[in-house]
Amino acid sequence: MNKKAALFVLLGSILAPVTQAQIKHIEMRVEGMT
Amino acid sequence: MKQHLGRQSGVQNVEVSLIDGKVQIVPKEDARIDPPQLLKAVYDSGVSVAEMDVTVRGKIVKDASGSLALQAEPNQSFTIAPNELSKELESLANSQTVVTLLGQLYKKPPGKKKPETSAPLKLLILEIQRKE
Repeated sequence: MNKKAALFVLLGSILAPVTQAQIKHIEMRVEGMT
Repeated sequence: MKQHLGRQSGVQNVEVSLIDGKVQIVPKEDARIDPPQLLKAVYDSGVSVAEMDVTVRGKIVKDASGSLALQAEPNQSFTIAPNELSKELESLANSQTVVTLLGQLYKKPPGKKKPETSAPLKLLILEIQRKE
């Protein structure tokens, strides 16, 4: 059981940075908007 | 334009400031957003984009040609345009370090009205916000 828990923690620490990686915010300066 | 952008996949919220001529887009959590598609959507709504800046989090990788790239998701990466700040990131290439960058993805070339959405966008780093 402890081995399973350790495996989950290990997998979580490996996958977490990848799943959180993404575009956080976009800002555009536009012309011709009325 | 706000409605047009709000319908694009991965977009959670759009704020338009008529006074500044600025459009702020907040992507959905864990959703893939496609910057060239957003450029096209803005152009299709009758407005031209002068500049597009993004805050993006990901890992630094080196692609097959030896250029630095920011891997934002397993299937989305941005080639980094070389500048002084990109040199700081070279040592982090292919490491587990996750960086948060503010960068310019698009700037309208002088004299051109239509954005070249077919050309790959390069990320010009303006600020390294975080390394973790």
